[in-house]
Amino acid sequence: MTGDLSFSARQKLLLIPVYTLLTIAAVVTLVPFVWMTCAAFKNNADFFSSLFLPTGDGFLGIDWSRLTITNFKRLFTELSLGNALMNSFFLSSVSALLATLCSAAGGYALAKFRFAGRGVVLNLVLIALVIPGPLLMAPGYQLIYKLGLLDTYAGLILPGVAPAFGIFLFRQAAMNAIPHELLESARIDGAGELRIFFTMVLPLLRPMIGAFLMITFLGTWNNFIGPQIILQSPELFPLSVAINQLRGLYGTDYGMIMSGTLVSIAPVLALFLLLQKEFIAGLTSGAVKG
Amino acid sequence: MHRPPSRLRTLLASASPAVWVLLAIAVVTSLYVWQRPARHYEGLLFWTAARAHTPAYAPLIEKWNRVHPPEKRVNMLLLDSGALERRMLSGFLSGTPVSDLMEVERSVAGRAFTGPVEDVGFLDLTDRLRDEGLLDKINAPSFGAWTTRGRIFGLPHDVHPVLLAYRSDIVEAAGIDVSQIETWDDLIRAFRPLMKDFDGDGRTDRYILNFWSTNGDVATALMLQAGGRFFDENDRPVINSEINARVLATLATWTAGTTRISVDAPEFSATGNQLRLQGTVIASVMPDWLAGVWKIDLPALSGKIKLMPLPTWTPGGRRTSAQGGSMLGIPKASRDPEACWAFAKELYLSPALAAESYRALSIITPVKEFWSLPVFDEPDAYFGGQPAGRLFINQAPNVPTRSSSPYGTLAQARITDALISLAAVINRTGETDVEKLLPEARRLLDFAQDQVARQVDRNVFLRPSPPVATSVSELSAPSAVSQP
Repeated sequence: MTGDLSFSARQKLLLIPVYTLLTIAAVVTLVPFVWMTCAAFKNNADFFSSLFLPTGDGFLGIDWSRLTITNFKRLFTELSLGNALMNSFFLSSVSALLATLCSAAGGYALAKFRFAGRGVVLNLVLIALVIPGPLLMAPGYQLIYKLGLLDTYAGLILPGVAPAFGIFLFRQAAMNAIPHELLESARIDGAGELRIFFTMVLPLLRPMIGAFLMITFLGTWNNFIGPQIILQSPELFPLSVAINQLRGLYGTDYGMIMSGTLVSIAPVLALFLLLQKEFIAGLTSGAVKG
Repeated sequence: MHRPPSRLRTLLASASPAVWVLLAIAVVTSLYVWQRPARHYEGLLFWTAARAHTPAYAPLIEKWNRVHPPEKRVNMLLLDSGALERRMLSGFLSGTPVSDLMEVERSVAGRAFTGPVEDVGFLDLTDRLRDEGLLDKINAPSFGAWTTRGRIFGLPHDVHPVLLAYRSDIVEAAGIDVSQIETWDDLIRAFRPLMKDFDGDGRTDRYILNFWSTNGDVATALMLQAGGRFFDENDRPVINSEINARVLATLATWTAGTTRISVDAPEFSATGNQLRLQGTVIASVMPDWLAGVWKIDLPALSGKIKLMPLPTWTPGGRRTSAQGGSMLGIPKASRDPEACWAFAKELYLSPALAAESYRALSIITPVKEFWSLPVFDEPDAYFGGQPAGRLFINQAPNVPTRSSSPYGTLAQARITDALISLAAVINRTGETDVEKLLPEARRLLDFAQDQVARQVDRNVFLRPSPPVATSVSELSAPSAVSQP
């Protein structure tokens, strides 16, 4: 009888509908991924004629013989996907590391140093935050051209080295996480500013660093417009652009696109699973005031 | 005794694992990128966004490169259409680098024709085409989409005539002789018995035509077929013509009310193809390039499809239309326009390319002398053994001339809005008499015309110039001041 149930048992019973709803939501969320995985193993004709897997007389009513790994083979032979994968890793990792380092340095300086023009710099950072990225595309392209950086990785990496969002994020983190007294005592003990930054500030900002690295890495990995405009040599293309090349004027090789997307998701998914603890710690740091 | 941690352990602990993982990835990939030799493009750059074209171009480019010095060799680069458009506009408007030669699709090329005609970023090819006899050699309507204010800025890649593809297995089994069909009314009359509710659920399971009020591509192609236009010779919108209104009203009755004969089976979609495979759609409007797409995407329909000329709007009328198109243009900033022009002719005027484009993509060349190539007469098993190429070519000279207006996409969108609104009127009122729908069709097209004209009028280069006084005396006398 309900009246005999303990408080914790009632609490558990109440959780059943919650978990049911969450399970439904999780299944709904997974449907596109399942669809994409199925599509990656189909040819173009089956892609257009069957929703998930081609129906037939096989096990579970599926014609297993029509599934193919040709799309994956073609990805690595015709499209040089291995090269695009390395390019994506290079761009994402280098951009993430540089952006994190520069943002942390900038944010720390704005939070802890008193210098002439600090207010102006902070205001500029805030202004830069509210300017939509696409608005800067045309002048950015012109600037990169003037600097002779078109069709180079530098043209992609340099504009994102010190993002306003990152600087502001690290400024807030530095204000909360780094006590003035600690910095003062380090200076009294004779530590230089670089040593303080690398041995004290960065470790104290560690949760935010993990989160920001992840954000920047994923942002660069998924960046499409930037590389599409700046790069023109096919051997420099990252995955996002290389896969998009499969879209055609008279049709699209969906099987290849889906297999390419599957391949492009796998490494970042693995990285995210590996580093999710850091990522979540960074996102939630400061959420609860201690 | 407590041992202090090693320096390595201290170093590793000083940063998050994320940093070390990414640092390792960065080092490895940097080495990979650094050791990879940078490619230097010697010679001319040729941008294209049509992946499907590139296999046919590759051998011709190789042949060209074999016999030309390094500075005239051509490097073909495949770009995404969006990237090509952005780079092209950026290059034309702000002087950033563009390729020496580029192949662009109709909607992209139109964007280059927005400003004064003398400032179009492409080289004016009109005189070259005339002097070298290419205006006669190439199908005249194919120049339309690349002509602005009387000047031609591109060498056409195609004609893209439109036919009607129908399910011959269904139509012939019903004993229908399509050779007796001339007009759209004939088609509807002949095919209507095929519209059936097979499962008795009160809903029709088979429709005559793949068309919907949201399908602006087909709607505008059918308006062009009827003789309608969207822009005049001066790129002024002329959307609200009587022809367009009549076609709009008729098309709306095809998609709504008791006269509905069409179903929405979009191209390039799984649902659309499923409807085609299961025979829900009997006929589809088919440009030549779509024939090539169907062969790849719908091999199960091989032998079940046949082609016929589009039914006319009035007896004796035009039996085709045009949809899509690409051109080869030479940017003014090209490093060697003469070599690019020579290459463009070698590529597009090659019989080998004409044959290969048809074989691989079902695309008909605009070069009239190649229309006699035997490849176009080969029986096509996909189309029930019909010589599909010949059927398209028979209609190629009759394709309507299209405008190159940069506002073409906008005009199409507004016409689609009008069609959707008119279909909604039919659904609301139940009225399906074209004559009674005409006033509403005219009103909707007037509105569309007004919307497009407003946008065009914002462009000072396409706005009709007001009368200009050339002297003080003329200023005081408001009589006619003739425009040069």
